Amino acid sequence: MFFHIVLERNMQLHPRHFGRHLRDNLVAKLVKDVEGTCSGRHGFVVAITGIENVGKGLIRDGTGFVTFPVKYQCVVFRPFKGEILEAVVTMVNKMGFFAEAGPVQIFVSNHLIPDDMEFQSGDMPNYTTSDGSVKIQKDSEVRLKIIGTRVDATEIFCIGTIKDDFLGVINDPVTS
Amino acid sequence: MGEKGGKGFSLNSNLGKSSTKSPLEASLTGKDDSTAKSKRGRKVQFNNGGLPEARLTSSLMSGGKADIPIAKGDLSKGGKGGRVLNGEKSAVPKPPAPLELRIEQELPKNAKCMMDCEAALILKGIQEQMVVLSEDPTIKIPLSFNKGLQYAQSSNCYASPQSVRRVLEPLSKYGVSDGEICVIANTCPETIDEVFALVPSLKPKWSTLREPLKDVLRELAELKHLNQSSNPEGSPGFS
Repeated sequence: MFFHIVLERNMQLHPRHFGRHLRDNLVAKLVKDVEGTCSGRHGFVVAITGIENVGKGLIRDGTGFVTFPVKYQCVVFRPFKGEILEAVVTMVNKMGFFAEAGPVQIFVSNHLIPDDMEFQSGDMPNYTTSDGSVKIQKDSEVRLKIIGTRVDATEIFCIGTIKDDFLGVINDPVTS
Repeated sequence: MGEKGGKGFSLNSNLGKSSTKSPLEASLTGKDDSTAKSKRGRKVQFNNGGLPEARLTSSLMSGGKADIPIAKGDLSKGGKGGRVLNGEKSAVPKPPAPLELRIEQELPKNAKCMMDCEAALILKGIQEQMVVLSEDPTIKIPLSFNKGLQYAQSSNCYASPQSVRRVLEPLSKYGVSDGEICVIANTCPETIDEVFALVPSLKPKWSTLREPLKDVLRELAELKHLNQSSNPEGSPGFS
């Protein structure tokens, strides 16, 4: 889910960036350092939407760098347990399938796929119902529920399920 | 291991096998006797009755392993035993409660939930600015931005986020949280059953929410229909 949030960060600036364009340099450095990063608490920082406040700079002893406290608004994407997401399947194997929702990777184990769907190996591995009416393969769109999250240094990884009511395939790339 | 050995020795002494022990074991046993006695006393207090003596005897016969969890106050065994002894019903495994959203508890208070349609609008505006910035080879547009924008646009059913927000806002006076409102907007549900299945935290408010949700879903369907009729290629296909 997307959130609009105000975060604060201490930015260090080299004296060569001082001058009339100091604020622009500070903002550019903030964008470069923060956009695309991921943290466990806030999720992925998708985009910075504005600068709320730039505090007074403090010169660091011995180095000449100046630290500015910067408050900025940004759009973050963070998955939550219990959230319903629509994801695109990226890989299918006998253990389950991987899907992607925005920048987040989700794995759905075969234990959390309905029992009437079985794994079919081949050039295009997939999970199919016994009557062949529903198929989950690469590029299928599925609605799933997040049941667990794990945060790495640079990404968030989730475990999902499609075994509950109103979950499963939305769009089959073959029939669409 | 030492603890288990110690307890085993105390149990062995209770069974009267002290003749086979070494002096070290006997000294340990001596110490453990007192601890076993105190544990026995603790057991009696924990279990509140004469029955623990019988349980103690039976557990000793079984090798004493069952006794250890009780001595430790293990909830899984001692607790259940306690319930049995007190005459309560034995624990029946309850079905796991459905997973509920807990957004407000994990994010700072200044975080505002956004619907996918709102996020798509904001990110699209930023992308237009980024087109100018992308001409500078030193500036790289992060991958998460493109993925986030693509996701927001693909899952978006509605043309006007303001209309959707206006339709869903009345639900907040029935105690529906911002996160729950966003899930309803993002999933584009067609029936009330779907709403309560996807957002189980709303089930306790079923009686009060049933009628308002019917109206909300009807208006959302009209907004979705308007979006599909004005942009048939852009709207996602729902089977």
